[in-house]
Amino acid sequence: MTDALLKMCDITKSFPGVLALDNVALEVASGEIHGLVGENGAGKSTIIKVLAGVYKADAGTVEIDGHVLPDVTPRSVHDAGVRFIHQELHLVQHFTVTESVFMGQEEQTLLGLSTRAMRQKAEAFFETALGTEMSGNTLIRDLGIAERKLVQIARALIDNQAKLVVFDEPTAPLTSGETDKLFTAIRKLKEQGIAMIYVSHYLAEITGICDRVTVLRNGQNAGRFDEVFDDSAPAMISAMVGREIDELFPKTEHTPAAPRFEVTDLSAEKFEDVSFTIHRNEIVGVAGLVGSGREDLIDTIYGLAKPRSGTMKIDGVAQKFRAPADAVGAGIALVPRDRRHDGLVLDMSVSDNINLAALDTVSRGTLENRRAANAVATDMSETLDIRPRNIAATLRLLSGGNQQKVVLGRWLNKGADIFILDEPTVGVDVGAKVEIYQHIENLAQDGVSVLVSSSDPGELIGLCDRILVMLRGKIVAEVSTTDLGVDELVALTTGGATQEAVS
Amino acid sequence: MNQTLSTKLLAVFPIAVFACLFAYLSIESSTFLSLGTFELILKQAVPTVIVSLGLAAVVIAGGDDVVAGGIDLSIPATAIICAAIIADQLTNQGNTLVFAMTLAFGAAAIIGAINAFLVVGLRMTPLLATLSMSVAVVGLTKVITSSRRIGVTDESIVFIRDGKIMGVAASVILTAVLVVIFYHALHRTRWGMNMQATGGSRDAAEISGILTRRFVVQSFLIAAFAGWIASVFVLARGSGSSPGTEENMLLEMVLATFLGAAFSPRRVVTLWGAVLGAVVVSALSVGFISIGVNVFWTGCIKGALILLVVASAAVATKGRS
Amino acid sequence: MTLQSIFARFGLVIIIVMFFSFFSYISPVFLTFDNQVNIVEASAIVLILALGMTLVVAMGGIDLSIGIAFDFGAAFAVVALKDFGAAWYIACLVGVMGGALVGLLNAFLIVILKISPFMATLGTFFVGSSVERVFTNGGGPISYRRMPQEYRDLAVGDVFGIPTEVVIAAVVCLVYFIALERSIFGKRIHAIGLQKDAANVAGIPVRRYMFIAFILASATCAIGGLIGSANIRMFTPLAGFSYLLDAIAAVFIGAAIHPKGRPNVIGTMVGVLFLGMIGNGLNLMGLDFNLKAALSGLILVGALALAVAQQRLR
Repeated sequence: MTDALLKMCDITKSFPGVLALDNVALEVASGEIHGLVGENGAGKSTIIKVLAGVYKADAGTVEIDGHVLPDVTPRSVHDAGVRFIHQELHLVQHFTVTESVFMGQEEQTLLGLSTRAMRQKAEAFFETALGTEMSGNTLIRDLGIAERKLVQIARALIDNQAKLVVFDEPTAPLTSGETDKLFTAIRKLKEQGIAMIYVSHYLAEITGICDRVTVLRNGQNAGRFDEVFDDSAPAMISAMVGREIDELFPKTEHTPAAPRFEVTDLSAEKFEDVSFTIHRNEIVGVAGLVGSGREDLIDTIYGLAKPRSGTMKIDGVAQKFRAPADAVGAGIALVPRDRRHDGLVLDMSVSDNINLAALDTVSRGTLENRRAANAVATDMSETLDIRPRNIAATLRLLSGGNQQKVVLGRWLNKGADIFILDEPTVGVDVGAKVEIYQHIENLAQDGVSVLVSSSDPGELIGLCDRILVMLRGKIVAEVSTTDLGVDELVALTTGGATQEAVS
Repeated sequence: MNQTLSTKLLAVFPIAVFACLFAYLSIESSTFLSLGTFELILKQAVPTVIVSLGLAAVVIAGGDDVVAGGIDLSIPATAIICAAIIADQLTNQGNTLVFAMTLAFGAAAIIGAINAFLVVGLRMTPLLATLSMSVAVVGLTKVITSSRRIGVTDESIVFIRDGKIMGVAASVILTAVLVVIFYHALHRTRWGMNMQATGGSRDAAEISGILTRRFVVQSFLIAAFAGWIASVFVLARGSGSSPGTEENMLLEMVLATFLGAAFSPRRVVTLWGAVLGAVVVSALSVGFISIGVNVFWTGCIKGALILLVVASAAVATKGRS
Repeated sequence: MTLQSIFARFGLVIIIVMFFSFFSYISPVFLTFDNQVNIVEASAIVLILALGMTLVVAMGGIDLSIGIAFDFGAAFAVVALKDFGAAWYIACLVGVMGGALVGLLNAFLIVILKISPFMATLGTFFVGSSVERVFTNGGGPISYRRMPQEYRDLAVGDVFGIPTEVVIAAVVCLVYFIALERSIFGKRIHAIGLQKDAANVAGIPVRRYMFIAFILASATCAIGGLIGSANIRMFTPLAGFSYLLDAIAAVFIGAAIHPKGRPNVIGTMVGVLFLGMIGNGLNLMGLDFNLKAALSGLILVGALALAVAQQRLR
């Protein structure tokens, strides 16, 4: 495997204020499956986008088949035989498999579409190239997620011109049974001599399927594994993490008081039999990869999604939430993961957003009391150091960190006593991160029960007293954060270790 | 398990309702199940079928979300103004049919282009853009006709009204030919598939290299074209242009097109669905009259039907996701 | 760049001023006090309906059935007066309740059955029109020449010299201004209209608010129906439909002149008066009825296009 199909050398890419890629190299030999791993923000998606021609690199070269691409554009990359399987499926629900596979490249004669020929070609392609049976007449919406993924792959490869296929987190939405189907297809492609780049958080998959692995960390190369064994995961994890948990966290011991929030045998569409308890003065974390059911758990607790079975109790009283309004009424607050969509009304002011959950406390009868509302907002903006210190500013104009502080401020103002924080520091700069951690810590000190869901293992360990680990819809471990290493937690979430191996 | 069963029941519910209605009509009325009635139903459906073809094209390219997706409420108004122009040219100005049709075609093209500009260029919601266009066009029609009926005695138009081709009403045959052409273009060519992809998922289409804006523009032009064609049949049916016929046509067009989605196996707006929808609506009207139902109730029944179909579709998608 | 930003902020205002100057120049009557009062008086009913529409659009919906609510308001009131000999204020109450029924149907279809507001209110429109036709045996008006003077005064009376309908419209306008722009109810409605999901997560009972808003809007339109029926002393089926597009247009024109591009009460009022001014001005120019219809339709399209273009530029 010496002949390199793809050679990306010295790729540097910076965004305003951030050096996203710093002299990164990525080399893929023809016919190999090359793993690309790294934590969130390590630069994986940036380098993929540079390869796709979506981002233009500041420096560096892209060489395919020994030819340096003079200009990396979506067109030139496509013509060179590189195909991308994006995380999103991008399929039309009511199209058939054949129609989806040939979308934008339909075959027709003077008499119209060659429906039968396309269907036969598509079905043959599924059988020979992907090693699976698929009827060309099935509608996309009647397919499982794994089959849809295969349709997406077929669409990218049907012209038989592909030399290199880039998979971006292909198994994220799949259950473990479904991933096997995908792996069959990937191995089949490899037999045909097609090279692949495989981006994934699931290290168990990486070690199972990849020939070589490149590790990125903070926008730099952090190691390459030219041979991958079943037990390579720990080495990869330490290359990915590469640091100790630093001084970001105000880590203090909490003495959990009486139990406040009890969840028993909660099940919904994407998770099963989840049980846990959060006490007063306690911060509990939820770890898990995308698709582990972590997000759905949060939604269900907050009344955004319906549970199938199970109970929730607050201070011993059973609760049933038909809508978030019920959860808020019971004293729960949610800082949602999609801040810009669910957390804030972006076109309203700082003051309006801070007061939105507790408008009745700043009103005379039903009339709004702007002076009172502004006083509350000014106060909160002082307490949380929201910048700019202008409560009339539209939320859209604030930075991510300050937007998040506004969400936090809204619930502090409301006085909720159970806080659920979903990815509280996504898109937040380091300075604001530290402040937000301190506020979360203060909440726990004041007797609030906190649940933090995060895809950043360091954050969970630094912040929480104990962590629930979810994998494929179940809680597979509950670990105390005392003496817990990031690599141990990553191993748990990626399915790279059993609970016994850690405890 | 239970949920999927109820979802399936919901999906066939509208069709079941119609089947029951027709069974009832056949039993109650002795004439309903005759060839003559069938031809009458088809003849009455003609202008609605044609404008529905246009609306179907817009919905196919724009997506079936009525507010954010594609809709064109100005097609009936386009048909009415084209009819007015042709009638005026033939009867009042004494020009030839070809000249009159060409002039009307120009008017339709301008309307289609303005719609496309408002929706694609200014990103106005199609609903608002085409509704206001409809009002403006109806206003212009009044200027042409001075709000009066203009009779037409042109031979070709009379032929479309009374003529027969191989023993079948000429208007039905001509419409059938048009339907086949539209069907071929929209469902049987790469161009048509790309238009469907545009409406099905804008993102997916663009990732596949389809120029989606172009298809949305084209769909509005097709809609205007359908309005132009429909105008001839409107003229034939009324033996001239009469003011104030667009509202009823608007109702029937929207009803037929979205009703059609309930009949399509994929539950989306299709050309066949729209055609079938128009025929079903016409059959209901004819059927209700034949059993002596108060004609004023038919609007209520049609409104209730559209709500029924849309509601069961909404509940069914909710059950699925 | 600056020219563009001036247009983005004041484009429509400039157009309005231009039309105003044009009509003043072309017709000596236009600027007289009496004629300005005429414009306001002729706009009263449209304003009431447009306010109902403002509420619905601010909440992110649309209501195509406001005409039906208008008709139901008129029909219920006239029938109450004529067939049941109800007192004028009872008749008003019954009329408003009749309008609220339309809103109830809309709310049921949209909130419970989750049909999109467009389709739902379109369906209500069809069903409602047909019910009106059946009720009147084909669309003939229900006339009641001997209606109580108090009811008649809703349209033709005056309060301290100001026409009653203008006073009613002003009161409705004030109530809407307070409700939508100065109360926590309005704050929540705007939040729902801007970002429904975020409002939901913030604990606002979105479904309940939507339910209430659709009923309120229809009840408001019924008030317009009362005035309309008092004016001509009869209920005319399907009379309300003619107000639909003016109401929608006024709301969007109003949104375009709002600094943040939101539907708002003052803007709607300006929009309604703008449309009233166009109608009045074209009349004064002595144009033929048909030409007037065409011109006002074209101006409407132009104003809406401008309104949207203006928002896109921001």
